[in-house]
Amino acid sequence: MMAKMVSLTIDGKPVEVPEGTLVVNAAKKVGVDIPVFCYHPKMEPVGMCRMCLVEIGRPVIDRASGQPLREEDGSLKIQFGPKLETACTTPVSEGMVVLGATEKVKAGREDILEFLLTSHPLDCPICDKGGECPLQNLTMGFGPGESRYLYDDKKHLAKHVPLGELIYLDRERCIQCGRCVRFQELIADDPVIAFSQRGRSLEIVSYSEPGFDSYWSGNTTDICPVGALTTADFRFRARPWELKAAASICNHCPVGCNLTLNVRREAVSGGKWVLKRVMPRQNEAVNEIWICDKGRLGYHFGAQNAERLEKPLVRKNGELQPATWQEALELVTERFQSVGRGLITLASGRLSNEDLFNLGKLTRSLGGKSILYSSMAGGDLTTQIGFAPGTNFADMGKESAILVVGSDLEEEAPLWWLRVRQAAKRGATLIVLNARQTKLDRDAHYSLRFPFGTAAAAVLALVNTLSPKRPELPESIQELARSSELKAAAKAFAEAKDAAILFGGDGMGLAETQALAQACANLLLITDHFGRPNNGLLGVWPRANDQGAWELGWQPSMNLPADLAQAQALYIVAADPVSDDPAYLNAFDGQKFVVVQDLYLSQTARLADVVFPAQAWTEREGSYTSGERRVQRYYPALQPNAALPPRVESPGSRRAQVLTGLRAELDGPQADFAIPAFLAEKLGYEGFVHASASLVFARLAAEAPSFGGLSYQKLAEVHEQWPIVGRSDLYYGGTTYENTQGLGVQLPLAQGGASLLSWPQVADFKLPKLGGIAFPITRLYDRGATLMHSQLLHKRIGEPYIILSKQEASRLKISQGGFVRITFTDAERSVVVQAKVDEGLPERVVLAPRSFGLPISGPTPVELKPAG
Amino acid sequence: MLAEKYAQEIQTILAKYPPDQRRSAVMPLLYIAQRDKMYVNREDMAEIAEILGITPTEVASIVGFYSLYYEEQKGKYHIQVCTDLPCALRGAERFMQELCSRLNIRPGETTADGLITVEPVMCLAACDKAPMFQVQSGAGLSYHENQTVESALALIEQLRSDATRKRGRDSHV
Ligand code: SF4
Ligand code: SF4
Ligand code: FES
Ligand code: FES
Repeated sequence: MMAKMVSLTIDGKPVEVPEGTLVVNAAKKVGVDIPVFCYHPKMEPVGMCRMCLVEIGRPVIDRASGQPLREEDGSLKIQFGPKLETACTTPVSEGMVVLGATEKVKAGREDILEFLLTSHPLDCPICDKGGECPLQNLTMGFGPGESRYLYDDKKHLAKHVPLGELIYLDRERCIQCGRCVRFQELIADDPVIAFSQRGRSLEIVSYSEPGFDSYWSGNTTDICPVGALTTADFRFRARPWELKAAASICNHCPVGCNLTLNVRREAVSGGKWVLKRVMPRQNEAVNEIWICDKGRLGYHFGAQNAERLEKPLVRKNGELQPATWQEALELVTERFQSVGRGLITLASGRLSNEDLFNLGKLTRSLGGKSILYSSMAGGDLTTQIGFAPGTNFADMGKESAILVVGSDLEEEAPLWWLRVRQAAKRGATLIVLNARQTKLDRDAHYSLRFPFGTAAAAVLALVNTLSPKRPELPESIQELARSSELKAAAKAFAEAKDAAILFGGDGMGLAETQALAQACANLLLITDHFGRPNNGLLGVWPRANDQGAWELGWQPSMNLPADLAQAQALYIVAADPVSDDPAYLNAFDGQKFVVVQDLYLSQTARLADVVFPAQAWTEREGSYTSGERRVQRYYPALQPNAALPPRVESPGSRRAQVLTGLRAELDGPQADFAIPAFLAEKLGYEGFVHASASLVFARLAAEAPSFGGLSYQKLAEVHEQWPIVGRSDLYYGGTTYENTQGLGVQLPLAQGGASLLSWPQVADFKLPKLGGIAFPITRLYDRGATLMHSQLLHKRIGEPYIILSKQEASRLKISQGGFVRITFTDAERSVVVQAKVDEGLPERVVLAPRSFGLPISGPTPVELKPAG
Repeated sequence: MLAEKYAQEIQTILAKYPPDQRRSAVMPLLYIAQRDKMYVNREDMAEIAEILGITPTEVASIVGFYSLYYEEQKGKYHIQVCTDLPCALRGAERFMQELCSRLNIRPGETTADGLITVEPVMCLAACDKAPMFQVQSGAGLSYHENQTVESALALIEQLRSDATRKRGRDSHV
């Protein structure tokens, strides 16, 4: 239903906007800038700062007739209020006349700014916000120029207050707009900062442990209209105007948040281009104007540091030694050729579409086998009944149902948590179906629990209440299956006009997620919720481009250790299986030829015969396919080879393509798509390109059906978005970057549909009487190679730990933080880790965060002992 | 631990609010904490947050907002002198200054024996009877109007001897 439209004039310009629109937003739509501090277009207005004062007139209505009165000349009689009104809290009304540039308004704004500045330090020259500061800009635009207050009477307050180790507060600079506090409460749902005291003594405090304990804290530095909040990462590191900006995509999770990488060339780094900070870039269909702190603060692995691999390494006399590209490529070519079908290429979703395309194609040409290194299955289904083009969480509301199953969403894909929550707030029916409580439960209409190990059966229980075909359900799920809440949830899901399912791998491995994905697919198929916008299946994948890998035909192996053991040669790209699970060591028996391609000398790379140095995502072009099946481009921000003199003044987008091209003599790290193409060239294969990512993408679009018709130009297209953000609108939306380099394109769905119905076998799952079962879970701040390079986050990442039930802890006589020895019964391995106790956990259940050095690819039997 | 020491009282307070609006009980729970020690420390804030299902930061924000909750340990008795304009016109400011100098402290400070804190506050709704103050202690509030420095000092002496007697009694049980 279209909202009723309302007509008014703003500074003489006629405007028509939907009923309920605030004056400030109506003005913005016709290019009239009303300055604001406390108002933010993503949050409800509070009218705290009074910066947005305007004159507002309304037609005078004759009480008797209910008709508007007219002047003698026939125009509407307009009555102006005695005082200025706040444009940010006032909704438009028919016939309204808004004046934003009168003397009265100017005087009002001058006064407000004069008041704000009475106690503001005006230390712009040393302020990190200087140059992109709303207070600075609005003072220049609307301020009085001079103050009548005494400079010496300024109140001086603490300037370096850590709200935690990530965010610093400068109390003097705070203008008490409340944006940060409101953001944390309303959008992040982490009210861990708040106002304390009153009046001029008001300050932002955090009493959480650790301070400012939220994955969203960095966003407050974007929307703070002054330099009061800064990240420890960027504080005093550079001035905004020295920075160049390159459009990028976050590669920490499958959301694919749009980023801007800020770089500068600096003398302190020997004249090199250096990555200074990561900022959000607006994409209202993906991350809106937000990013999580992992994306903002966890970029250091993609920077250039001394640990990066610079040259190819070749094993000689048992030692890895630097070699030329020529030598390394020739050796690999020769060996790959001789093993042919015996080659296995193992690559992860950390790679771009272009990389995976070239790697897959090379492997196929040799007759080898490509395997996706992933802990989750089900991508065959998301390519067919995944999110259809036109799907946008922002469009989900009253008519939608969203089922989140087997996922701790904020930990696995933070922005999706944020957007699903907003959808629920707009009225979407949110069903959260998990083995344990997660943050999303706070917003769920139906918050359902299944016994650990029975995720797929739980979804089939939903299906059973709706479908004539009723698969047998195991014993352990019966209680849930019979519950009236489950039935009500199933009914709400089925009856919603649109419905989407997000499935994750919480507590699950490949086999379990495979069954879960199929069960979810069945639910979508029998309720006819697929193949159109805002419907379908979304995999909460472990890596940024897992969806892209599936679209390009990559799949994980159901028995990876066996596959690896059988191979004669391994080509491992952007994966480090040995660190994840030492059990893989068996595959590296010295018999097979192993090539590793990566940024760093990983545990796996140490065992290789040849190591190829790869470029980081910051140094090259490429594209990722997000879980929502949106193909998005990223651009180079840094020179690919630190050792080479920069070829262009600024590594801007246009000329950057040259950088990934082949040089006469190969030197330094190369793009992951280029290296397999070099090999192909040596092998004499046709149809490989390495000179630029866009050429590879053109090939890919021609050969991979779902990418048909796409091109880099298409991915770079933009259209206007709301709210308006960017350079001149900093005071309005914050320092989020405007998107000028591409909103990406959602892939069409592959054929499939109803034929996908198939009934997975769900065996009963019971917890053992003795010992325990460890279930893998995902923590946002993991100990993976891509995050450990970010020193700042180490305190939050913490040491390896597991989570125990209360009963287990008391049996072991272990208290919170004590140490346990956990033995993996099958692998005959044991590790000592810290124990945390979770009262809500069932007995015999152990939660083991992934990437903490515990060999768990799925539910794993374990034994626990106290360790002194 | 407040929850152990005042289990019954907290229970009674919580029973007055619907379970999903437990947070509304933050003020009465803070009274308990303050009555207990004459200030609210970080542990108490964390405990109240836990009981009410809100964050310690939210509790701290409320403690910070109200000037009559104390975040630091001060005297056992708070002599709160109104120094707002009407009272000031009746000499309240001078009264407070003098009282403080007789006690050897500055406004806001606590006497050496740790018993008496004198602090200026806003209107206490007895403007016509200034100089006036209220005494806040674990035992509650009491009003004292039309004061002189001497009458105030006499009262303080009384409070001091009460405290000594009480301490003596406590040590005998
Ligand atoms: S810290 Fe910034 S965002 Fe928060 S209240 Fe102060 S000025 Fe506003
Ligand atoms: S939500 Fe995911 S994609 Fe977005 S910034 Fe965080 S880790 Fe990166
Ligand atoms: S009062 Fe309108 S922007 Fe602050
Ligand atoms: S002004 Fe002091 S009691 Fe009212």
